[in-house]
Amino acid sequence: MADPQMKRTPMERTEQVIVVSTLLLLVVFTVQPLLNLLALSLSDPSKVAGFSGLSIWPAGFSPDVWLLLLQHPNVQRGIFNSIWMTAASVVIGTLGTALMAWGMSRPGLPLRRLIFIFVLVTIVFEPGIIPDYFLMKQLGLLNNQWSVIMYKVVNAWYLIILVRFFEEIPGELLESAELDGANPFQIFWTIVLPLAKPALATISLFYLVFHWNEFFHPMIYLNDQSKWPLQVVLRQFVIGGDKVAIVGAQDANNNIGIAQIDIRALKAGMILITIVPILAIYPLILKFFTKGTMTGALKG
Amino acid sequence: MAQTEAGSSAYAGNVPADSRWTRFATGFRRWWPYYAMMAPGLIFFVIWHYVPIWEAKMAFEQVRIIPPNLWVGLKNFQTLFASPVFYTVLLNTLIISAMKMAFVFPLPIIVALLLNEVRSGPLRQFIQSAIYLPHFLSWVVIAAVFIAFLSPTDGAVNQVTGLFGIPPVSFMTNTGWIRWVLVLSENWRSAGWDSLLYLAAIIAIDPALYDAAELDGANRWQKIRDITIPGIVPTIATLFILNMGLFMSAGLDQVINLQNAVNSSTIDIIDTYVYRIGLTTGEYSLATAAGLFKAVLGMALVLISHFVSKRLTGKGLW
Repeated sequence: MADPQMKRTPMERTEQVIVVSTLLLLVVFTVQPLLNLLALSLSDPSKVAGFSGLSIWPAGFSPDVWLLLLQHPNVQRGIFNSIWMTAASVVIGTLGTALMAWGMSRPGLPLRRLIFIFVLVTIVFEPGIIPDYFLMKQLGLLNNQWSVIMYKVVNAWYLIILVRFFEEIPGELLESAELDGANPFQIFWTIVLPLAKPALATISLFYLVFHWNEFFHPMIYLNDQSKWPLQVVLRQFVIGGDKVAIVGAQDANNNIGIAQIDIRALKAGMILITIVPILAIYPLILKFFTKGTMTGALKG
Repeated sequence: MAQTEAGSSAYAGNVPADSRWTRFATGFRRWWPYYAMMAPGLIFFVIWHYVPIWEAKMAFEQVRIIPPNLWVGLKNFQTLFASPVFYTVLLNTLIISAMKMAFVFPLPIIVALLLNEVRSGPLRQFIQSAIYLPHFLSWVVIAAVFIAFLSPTDGAVNQVTGLFGIPPVSFMTNTGWIRWVLVLSENWRSAGWDSLLYLAAIIAIDPALYDAAELDGANRWQKIRDITIPGIVPTIATLFILNMGLFMSAGLDQVINLQNAVNSSTIDIIDTYVYRIGLTTGEYSLATAAGLFKAVLGMALVLISHFVSKRLTGKGLW
């Protein structure tokens, strides 16, 4: 094929400019609000007053906001809770999903169809938050972080994506292992899991993003602020406008320490801290999510 | 159990060696390890998904401090359907869902068509990486970003409109604007990422069609109109129908973070109503009834949309 650049008419070049600038406008609309908050959080706290929402460059430069927030006990506890709860969910979820998907992907499995229906029912019919809440109450898990860790720990959608993946594993490979005397557990561990590494990476990333961003269930299940993940701390501070949540009553009353910092800059810093982990794994997300969504989302 | 009884019946002598019982036994020997591996997942689904379905019977009960609860039949539903608030939140849910179908659904299609026209690899990759990002942020973060973005004092939107002499608007506390805030923030979150599904459909179009059109002297616009758009119509149809199935869910996570005392009259939806009367006010039975009403209606919509989509486009939810 001829290079398209070669035979471009002036008309086509104008069209290209319009297309690209429309998309770049979307890029600006997407990224500018985040860059603005980043700039605000990195500004010199004394110069923050009247900082424009359009600016993406810090007014002066100071890491004070970040340092103060990262040293704050509520924020530290939030980070710790988020990391350990997310990690527990991802490990339990990925393993549980893989084990269940492997069984469901075997063509001859007795009651296979029934198990599929059993799973699909949970997607189609969700009785709502009150029955969920009462279940936690009966299990004695209210105000216990395991109520949040176990919420959708095996996600029906991800389960089905993984079943579809396992179905593609060639049968000969498994049969020859069986003839060699390997039992199903050994086959799963030594053949299936290594083959499924990309799929498992995708699923665990799905889980990672899902659980890191979860705020609703920790918000309704966990009463103790010391058990809150970062999202709930952020919500209390920024959405709820509860300055004391971060600043602390004593500092707020006396207007000392962190209370002296502009509240807008603190909020901006808090938002950014919450999305740092997502940004850190974003290259991986782009690599695995894109493929996973393109192949798994719309299976006939 | 039933098999053994059949085996020991009067006809036992006529039953071939491969009886149902021995078939069951060999099947069990072969398959029990798989069931053992599935057990943790199956138990999880029973406890976390099926027990709540059973718990939903609370919608037909009066919750008492000292159990057991009192069976009251449809009384909670009568209370619900007699309450004006219920119709407000139902109407809000339908309006917001309709607005999203009209003003959020089409955007990813346009984005995908535009992206497909960008051939240069690095530029395209840069655009994609930027516009996919918000999909991976929580609604707490997105709401926090939008509250700053729309602030009447120094938010970017009011700064820009201010350049044209338009007086600042407090979007977050304006009952007329707040639904558009939902539309705008939903677009911010998903316009980029959702375009991926359409891009996948575009990539699947036979390149020979474009080559043939080029030989016939078709320009860019003609190729989009006559090849690309017809090529993705099945995907558009599938996603449109499947989205219709979610009509009763106008977005709990989104609304609960953008809602405040001033704007809530126009964006209070069924889900936030259930949350409020259930977990804040403690009217458990009424809240469960409202939740069950939504769940049953939602299930009907999802199933209808799934089967309609499967019938028309060959693709469904699963």
